[in-house]
Amino acid sequence: MRNLIAKLAMAAAVLGGGLGAAAAETANIWVRADGSNFMPRIVDAYNKAHKDQVKLDIIPNAEIIPKYGAAAAGGTAPDALSLDLIYTPSFAAAGQLEDITDWAKSLPYFASLSPAHVKTGTYKDHIYGLPFSADASVLIWNKKLFKQAGLDPEKGPANWAEIEADAEKVNALGGNIKGFYFSGNCGGCNIFTFTPLIWASGGDILSEDGMKATLDSPQLRGAIDLYRSMVKKDLVPAGAQTDTGANFFAAFAAGNIGISPSGAFAIGALNTQYPNVDYGVTFLPGKDGNWSSFAGGDNFVVTKGTKKLAVVKEFLDFAYSLEGQTILAKYGSLPVRGDIAKDALKDLDPRYQIAAEAMAKGKTPYSVVFNDLINSANGPWTQMINEVFFGDDVDGAIANAQETMQSIIDQAPQK
Amino acid sequence: MTTIPATSVAPARKRAGAGRRQWIGLIYVAPAVALVMVFFVIPLGMTAWMSLHNWPLMGEHSFVGLGNYWAILRDTRFWNALKFTGFYTLVVTIAIFAVAFPLAIFIERPRPLTNLYRTMFFMPAVVGFASASLLWSWLLNVDSGLFSPAAYDLGLIDRKFNLLATFQPAFWSIIAMVVWKVAGFTMIILMTGLQSIPQDLQEAAVIDGAGPFARFRAITLPLMRRTLALALILSVAGSILAFDQFYIILRGGPRNQTLTAVYWIFNQSFVSFKLGYGAALSMVLLVILVALSLVQLWLLRKPEGLD
Repeated sequence: MRNLIAKLAMAAAVLGGGLGAAAAETANIWVRADGSNFMPRIVDAYNKAHKDQVKLDIIPNAEIIPKYGAAAAGGTAPDALSLDLIYTPSFAAAGQLEDITDWAKSLPYFASLSPAHVKTGTYKDHIYGLPFSADASVLIWNKKLFKQAGLDPEKGPANWAEIEADAEKVNALGGNIKGFYFSGNCGGCNIFTFTPLIWASGGDILSEDGMKATLDSPQLRGAIDLYRSMVKKDLVPAGAQTDTGANFFAAFAAGNIGISPSGAFAIGALNTQYPNVDYGVTFLPGKDGNWSSFAGGDNFVVTKGTKKLAVVKEFLDFAYSLEGQTILAKYGSLPVRGDIAKDALKDLDPRYQIAAEAMAKGKTPYSVVFNDLINSANGPWTQMINEVFFGDDVDGAIANAQETMQSIIDQAPQK
Repeated sequence: MTTIPATSVAPARKRAGAGRRQWIGLIYVAPAVALVMVFFVIPLGMTAWMSLHNWPLMGEHSFVGLGNYWAILRDTRFWNALKFTGFYTLVVTIAIFAVAFPLAIFIERPRPLTNLYRTMFFMPAVVGFASASLLWSWLLNVDSGLFSPAAYDLGLIDRKFNLLATFQPAFWSIIAMVVWKVAGFTMIILMTGLQSIPQDLQEAAVIDGAGPFARFRAITLPLMRRTLALALILSVAGSILAFDQFYIILRGGPRNQTLTAVYWIFNQSFVSFKLGYGAALSMVLLVILVALSLVQLWLLRKPEGLD
């Protein structure tokens, strides 16, 4: 018995990273499930090479915000977390995050960190979040189906007319094969893949500072008409109308879809889980060419008042090293440091280069009420896209969404 | 002299005994009281307290008095959700009773295979609402589910029909799912009520020449008052608190037409992070629910003169 206690005590000392006087510290970090592939590997690599340690918890995507809120209220919040970047403004506005402006600006590579991340990580001229992982939206097409339909399998569509024409040709193959797929009842999916069509044509849905909804634009109307026309011609499976995002990736992966807007994450997922699908990656085009992308991913934020700030900084610095960025790229995220992105992607699937380029020029809407406006399954954006793609009253739906979005923005707490 | 102490001691002893018995009684009920305190009274008090604050999920909270309640008065989307919840409760309660009552009458008397039927009808009730919703979510899926693809493959329809895309089919699909899930439970409650009616009353009525409908109206229904009250209150309370099926199968869609009151509270609390406002909405819903239950109890109260 005494023996057992002694062993336990020793184990505890080892686990605690103790070794007496050295007193290594352990910081607790959370990541949402989207990062469950690369994050544990970066943490392992860091822990092996450093005296201070990081303990990682992976939280389901939908749970991480309420769980963090509850933990923060109870004083058990993690020292830092990797947070969907669009939430950074609202977290910063709530006074929950540590101001890391000085440290961020002292980093020698600060200028080459993903600009879209840094922009959403900045609140009232202070920096609260820095890029951690990145995902850019792109257009993917099925090369096998393109070949069968008599199209050039190496050439993806480069404007709206080509998207529709190619989808129509693939659709004509018949049977289970459909030309185009999108998740028609998923706000998050469509802000990621549908708004770039608008941006590439020169329009936008929110003003630069996020204080004005600007839905009533010819660019939005044009993009809607493209989708409506494809729905009307039956190029899209019937399930798209009610897909809340569950099939966002799976529909294309099954191999029966000609073209689908998607994200860089699909490259890793297709290569590892569906090696038989032969696909190409290109940019999301504007009406007459040009292109754009949604720069998504996670910002790394630090809980206000944490005592492990030094460990957290050391960990982030490691993640930004070439080693960290390479691990990141290998396991499903794009690099977030522009100056070494090429090196980090060197040995990987060349299709990542397109996604990395899309990321570099990517755009992210800025709003402290992003969840209410866009991601919520019952928010104005989700309701509007479903109505305008499949309903009868396009003008009414846009006007209604414009009004609701503006009122949500106006009612948001201004601190 | 000697009688005085005796008479004065005896009541004292009695009092002491009664006091001790009361203490023992208190100890007996203490665990139950503690459970009710910890899991009901204290959370309820906290909810009421939070409802008086602007209480975000993160950050500082501040006292706003009745501000949240004034905001509820102007919250048209909440009242719309409540209206839909009322409509749903009405429809689903009628549907459940319309299915459960015949089933209860069917399985009340022992006959061959009664136990098999009872088990079959009751089975869906043991499945959780969330699991049942996931199952039906698949059954109703237009591309990979059962109903629409089966109808298409059998040649009944020439184009797959998306049941969840428009209000009417989506709403009635949910009603069908809830009836499938809940009717068995209501059936068991109604069955116990039917079985508690003395057989000789029915026989006397038969001898008096009452037909089956007259017997049902004049004997079965009045004697089942309390059972009906129980089944009705359970069904109404359950329906007003409906959330899982609309969240999992429909996500409040199509186009936010199936947002229930609880769904709206959930959205305000955990999508918009306004916990204080969510708490105030919960208090309003609680008051409505208590009022409705009282009305039902009053409607089904025991009339004068009836046993």
